[in-house]
Amino acid sequence: MSNKQKYMLSLSFIIILVAGSVYLLIKQPPKLGLDLRGGMNVILTAKSKPGAGVTSKTMEQALFVIEQRINKLGVTEPQISRQGSDSIMIQLPGIKNPDKVLDIIGKTALLEFKPIQDQYAQLSESQLNAMIKKGGDPFVTLPPDLRLTGDALSSASVGYEENTSKPKVNLTFQSAGGKTFDKLAAQFYQKRLAIILDNRIQSAPVLQSTHFGGRAEITGNFTIENAKELALVLQTGRLPVELVISQNQTVGPTLGRDSLLAGLRAGVIGLIIVALFMLGYYRLYGLLSWFTLSIFTTLLLGSLAAINAILTLSNIAGISLTLPGIAGIIFMFGSAADSSVIVYERIKEEVKGGKSIRTAMSTGYTHGFKTFLDADLVTFLTAAILFYFGIGPVRGFALTLMLGIGCDLLTSYFFTRAALGLLAPLGVFSKTTVSGLKEVAQ
Amino acid sequence: MEFKIDFIGRTKVWFAISGALVVIGILSLLIRGVNFGIEFKGGTQLDLKFKQKVTVSDVRSELSDQGLGKSIIQSKGQNEILIRSRSLSKAEQKKVVSTLDGKWRIADRTIQNVGPGWGAYITQAALVALLLSLLGLLIYISLRFEFKMAVSAIVAVVHDVIITAGVYALVGREVTPNTVAALLSILGYSLYDTIVVFHRILENTPRIGKRAYSTMTNDSINQVLMRSINTSLTTLFPVITLVLIGGETLKDFAFAMTVGIITGAYSSVFVASPLLSLWKELEPRYRNLKLKYSKA
Repeated sequence: MSNKQKYMLSLSFIIILVAGSVYLLIKQPPKLGLDLRGGMNVILTAKSKPGAGVTSKTMEQALFVIEQRINKLGVTEPQISRQGSDSIMIQLPGIKNPDKVLDIIGKTALLEFKPIQDQYAQLSESQLNAMIKKGGDPFVTLPPDLRLTGDALSSASVGYEENTSKPKVNLTFQSAGGKTFDKLAAQFYQKRLAIILDNRIQSAPVLQSTHFGGRAEITGNFTIENAKELALVLQTGRLPVELVISQNQTVGPTLGRDSLLAGLRAGVIGLIIVALFMLGYYRLYGLLSWFTLSIFTTLLLGSLAAINAILTLSNIAGISLTLPGIAGIIFMFGSAADSSVIVYERIKEEVKGGKSIRTAMSTGYTHGFKTFLDADLVTFLTAAILFYFGIGPVRGFALTLMLGIGCDLLTSYFFTRAALGLLAPLGVFSKTTVSGLKEVAQ
Repeated sequence: MEFKIDFIGRTKVWFAISGALVVIGILSLLIRGVNFGIEFKGGTQLDLKFKQKVTVSDVRSELSDQGLGKSIIQSKGQNEILIRSRSLSKAEQKKVVSTLDGKWRIADRTIQNVGPGWGAYITQAALVALLLSLLGLLIYISLRFEFKMAVSAIVAVVHDVIITAGVYALVGREVTPNTVAALLSILGYSLYDTIVVFHRILENTPRIGKRAYSTMTNDSINQVLMRSINTSLTTLFPVITLVLIGGETLKDFAFAMTVGIITGAYSSVFVASPLLSLWKELEPRYRNLKLKYSKA
């Protein structure tokens, strides 16, 4: 194959990649991150108890429970993922009442049933709760076969008390749980049984029957909202660990848009300055770099879209474009221009060394490529480490850097090289005034 | 453009300047300390956009009544106020928002709350990333170039990181996780110019001829000077635009990057290359060349 054919082939390759990128971008435009379109970003961290570390398995269970709760809330496009060894990040776009959502997803929802010791039977629920808070234990210690928690529930729903029509929560046990409950009721008949949620007594009625048929109810001073929330968390099961909110950010929608516009405006102006600088300094080669940079930018955005498409296919939440990501793209644009600078400077140098402009255009590329390959790989290395250790938005930044370097090398190898090779025989590039080679050509 | 600047000959001057900058950097870090954002210390940040004009002192006097007068309160853009305070409970947040809303009508808000343990977590992750990056760079450059070049380059990078951190301490700009991310990626990019120079030095080494290693290094720097300047400029243009008009979050990134790119370009010529040259001339072969051909 002649060189010319090779160059044509690599140009066609780049054209296909660009067309593919444009297609992907139209089909799947980049999703905006929460910082740009508003929404809530919460990081929940597991509180490890002394003696019991947080294992990967408990975190997986916690993640599952939280996913279920959020699905029941009906939020559109939630993103839930594990962060580090003991945290879970939740991103919910366009949330209107963040406080309520936080209450629901963060609740441990450990439901327990414990009989109250006879000596405390006269105390009211609030007196008992005050006692628990001070570290007291008013409950009978149960043998293992009578212990019952929310894990034994098969469902929970909202109902209304018959006399007062106050909201309550109806519980249905799985068959084994129902039997345990009846056993418990038989042993503590006519005594008070406390229904405890997250270490707080919800109600402590007297057991009036020994046969409940797998049903129980929680009454108390519920509003309909409260009862619904409680039913929801009980249905989705309890969290295997206590989660605390370690970071919570709620971005208003118009403020997100303001940041996006500021970022885009700065980005576009920055790009124009770089383009003008390249044209002014490198003349016709600068003009060529406009194509290089446009192809680079299209490929970078396209590869982000491609990753999103693959993730969506494998049912993993895609990457959204965040402010740090935009910073990464703008930075990479400058870095992509570097590759052109290195090649053009090398061409100048080869011409100065006595080579014809035509030869210099191809040897200049070869030598220049070796240089910026190393320089690019060094940046890639740090970006990869940053991606691995980074948290949340920082990862978006590191990812754009890595993709950017890949696209830069691709554009340079398949486009710049071929373009220089094909353009070299054209007389216009050898005219020293238009190619910016005037002072070096003598 | 052709340059014939004597960089290596004035090594002592550059080392004195760099040494002084590093000392100033370390001193300002020790004395002034770094202004860590709430992501590190824990706390609450409220970004409130009002429907009408509100001044910082208006907001401060309103918040003083709630015992939050000592919070950091800044004006940001049109009718926008940024409040950073100790960690506020939900009830406290609500009280602040409703008080200010009652007075000036809030149009939109962004609230961020960070628990105290979070900062330790990200600081640790950042430090691990920093050390691993340095180690990775050391190995990569040793393999692709040579060990002495790797060490010289790493010294230059550490120099850049200390100076950048020192600038943060001096200016008092807030350090956020974004700043840390930018700093870490600058680690890679600040090597860009160094790699370009070292590449040329490697290329020139077989053709050293009747030159001392230091002279050859100096020639190499001069040969690639224009591309070092231009690559730094093309990256600086967009990044500086971000600092000027990019909005608060992007400024965090861009400011660290601007300082990093400038020190990176400086250190490739004035720290990494002279250091390499000094070290190489300890090798018998280059010591002889130096004795024979050095002008000094």
